[in-house]
Amino acid sequence: MSKIARIDDECVIAAVLATKAAVKSRALSQMLDCFTPSQIARHHIEHPPTLQECERMAERLELTAMNVTYVGARDYPSILLSDSSRSPVLFWRGDMRALQQRRVGVVGTRSATAAGRYMASHLSFDLAERGIAIVSGLARGVDAWAHKGVSVAHMRKSSQVALGTPIGVVASGLDVVYPKENLELWNFVSESGLLMSESPPGTAPEAYRFPMRNRILAALSEVLVVVESRAAGGSMITVEEAQKRDITVMAVPGSPRNTSSAGTNLLLQQGCAPVVGVDDVLVALGLDTRSEHPPIFDSRPPLLAQDAALAATMAGDALTLDQLVLRTRRDVLDLAFALGRMESLGWVVNNGGWWEVLGVQSQSGYGGFHGIESHVGD
Amino acid sequence: MRSATLLGVQGAPVEIEIHLGMGLPGFTIVGQPDESCRESRDRVRAALLSCDLPWPNRRITVNLANGANERKGGAGLDVAIAIGLLVVQEILTAESVAPYAFIGELGLDGSLRGVAGVVPLVAAIDDRIVVVPKAVLREARVVSQHTVRGVASLSELVQCLRGEQQWYQPEPLTSIREEYEQSDMADVRGQSAARHACEIAAAGAHHLLLVGPPGAGKSMLAQRLAGILPDLSDTDAVTSTIVHSAAHIALPNSGLVSRPPFRAPHHSTSLVAMVGGGTSALRPGEISLATNGVLFLDELGEFAPSVLDALRQPLEEGVVRIARARSSVSLPAKFLLVAATNPCPCGEGAPGICVCDDRAKQKYLRRFSGPLLDRFDLRVAVTRPHVDELLAAHPNESSQQIAARVMRARQYALQRNGCLNSALPADMLDVHAPLTDGAAKLLRNHLERGRLSGRGYHRVRRVARTIADLHSEQEHVEEKHVAVALALRVGVQSQFSGDRVAQ
Repeated sequence: MSKIARIDDECVIAAVLATKAAVKSRALSQMLDCFTPSQIARHHIEHPPTLQECERMAERLELTAMNVTYVGARDYPSILLSDSSRSPVLFWRGDMRALQQRRVGVVGTRSATAAGRYMASHLSFDLAERGIAIVSGLARGVDAWAHKGVSVAHMRKSSQVALGTPIGVVASGLDVVYPKENLELWNFVSESGLLMSESPPGTAPEAYRFPMRNRILAALSEVLVVVESRAAGGSMITVEEAQKRDITVMAVPGSPRNTSSAGTNLLLQQGCAPVVGVDDVLVALGLDTRSEHPPIFDSRPPLLAQDAALAATMAGDALTLDQLVLRTRRDVLDLAFALGRMESLGWVVNNGGWWEVLGVQSQSGYGGFHGIESHVGD
Repeated sequence: MRSATLLGVQGAPVEIEIHLGMGLPGFTIVGQPDESCRESRDRVRAALLSCDLPWPNRRITVNLANGANERKGGAGLDVAIAIGLLVVQEILTAESVAPYAFIGELGLDGSLRGVAGVVPLVAAIDDRIVVVPKAVLREARVVSQHTVRGVASLSELVQCLRGEQQWYQPEPLTSIREEYEQSDMADVRGQSAARHACEIAAAGAHHLLLVGPPGAGKSMLAQRLAGILPDLSDTDAVTSTIVHSAAHIALPNSGLVSRPPFRAPHHSTSLVAMVGGGTSALRPGEISLATNGVLFLDELGEFAPSVLDALRQPLEEGVVRIARARSSVSLPAKFLLVAATNPCPCGEGAPGICVCDDRAKQKYLRRFSGPLLDRFDLRVAVTRPHVDELLAAHPNESSQQIAARVMRARQYALQRNGCLNSALPADMLDVHAPLTDGAAKLLRNHLERGRLSGRGYHRVRRVARTIADLHSEQEHVEEKHVAVALALRVGVQSQFSGDRVAQ
């Protein structure tokens, strides 16, 4: 598999076939089992692609630096080949060898809390440092932060082991960056890992394409970690697709107050394994977690006892200063002072007026929401 | 004949000349009168006839003269024109009216009506006794160095001028300031952080932005903020009174605006209504009416961007200069800005409960320009109070208690800086607001992490100075004061940055 596959005629024809609305994806997929794209184009469809169409597509693929693979091609990912709802044609950039690594999907809501974003980026960072590829969808929120964690690992290159690569599965054409603010991340993924889509170049990010993207995302993951999700949302579709394929789904527990953790908490109730640290995922992948890796090192200075108690009182909720005063019965000045101190050490963050704890110290590393006592009220 | 017209919040004396000549009977007003001024010929004629005073059937020319050659507006010149007509007909002698100036609109029945801006109009006439309608006499007497007479009708005025009747003698002005019925901070349940922010805002005149979901009590807090401000000083009270009078807004019973005004214009308010201008008299806008008081903008995001951006210059300079083709004025606009907004389109704001993604939030907050947001020293998240707090038996601190602390903190600041803390120049911060080592370290930490801009740095120090004034009597600003100032300055567009990873 060369890094940049030569765009041969078969690939171009496959790409043109993928653009034809009249050719159903499932039918094309089945036909490709028996015939090459050129045979299909010539004998098996009503309106065969014209030479002009093919030339235009070839030009476009070259211009946008996109590679094409199709069912039956040598470089079509074997993991997807056996999938019941595989895509007949895939467009990709980067390196297909990324799929040979162990792969963990990290997905979640677009409107994540600061704690959720923290979890997504730190978990992905730690997994990447252990050579595990991170599969995600490059959406806003959790998806983006998962790959940001990978990008930080790549920037640092501290690990002796080969770093885990980012694998992005997107819904639009690879040349249509959506959401636009993820452009940098988009480029990072295609340069350091693998970026793929089943949509031909120039495809707009239409809403119906996202659930379809999620099935590829799920199929590519060995373990799927849901960081934060509402009870109904894109991530839950990914979860369904993963469960159909017998892929392990894991969820990060959140405060029952957070509606953005409602979906993940539901998954936990249904019996999914919880994730509070990287070890949980490593165990699920069947990797030895005992001695190879140094214990997780938290660079933050430890909290004072009274501050640790305050962090425990917050119990994973996002609270305003008012609500904290009510909950702790402490003086405003006193609380603000304590929060300021904790913020400067990196233990809490002020997210638009609401304070959130970023990972309470615990045995399992960060993210352990321990010390949860029952707190009445909001 | 002397009268005055209004431009902005300043009166300008007008000399009225009348000529009776041969020719077809007629009545012309020259000297750039505006529409309402030109209508005065009909009012004056009707008023004279209803008072059984003669109307000259000759060619009448009235000239309105003042040095500035400006457009003269308003109906306040009616009385002066009527008296002038009586003088030319020799019903009154020129000597008897010489010491007087006249301000007022005439009714068709000869009664005298009040006009907008009596206070600045009276102030503009410095060498004569001013006759005003009795209804606005109290207002007119605010400018104490003037002798002011009040009359109810044209016939009464003529009799007084002839010496047939005594001028009305009003009761002497009492200097006792009235107690105002004002809503009390004690009514606000919970909201300890927001109440605290109000106290700091009042003490240091720091602009305040309240961020919170609908029903959290943002408006309630803002209304009570004016109540914890100290009474206006005498000069400030006169300034505020003049502005209120010029805008023809009812004044309190004492005639003097002695409490800080509270203005809460609706978000559909136009640019002109906000900053002033509009009519040829350049009526003062909401920001001028809020001078020395509180301007509350609820639903900040719903105001037109041009209206919000127009606030920037007055916020900085304390005055607003309005220039039109014919005239330009400078109106006072030294107000405490309190604004309220929802945190995001869904209104909830709390992470984990809000359903808006980052982009939607950013788009919502992009409605406020950065420079405007920068001017809010205090930005506080407000949440709906909890049921327990709503039903709590023990009330919170009352406005009176808070006002006492505010007053004391203001006195400290004035003694030390000569100005309130929000107006402290950046180069004087080290002199008047020295930091302890701990406080300096905390600020440095924030600056280094990029959580604070250079401008924000100075603002935080000013707020910290105010907090120190409220809570201690020490010269130095301590670490906890800075921490609170930082905590009460919510990064409105704050984004979690993975800085533990990025270190």
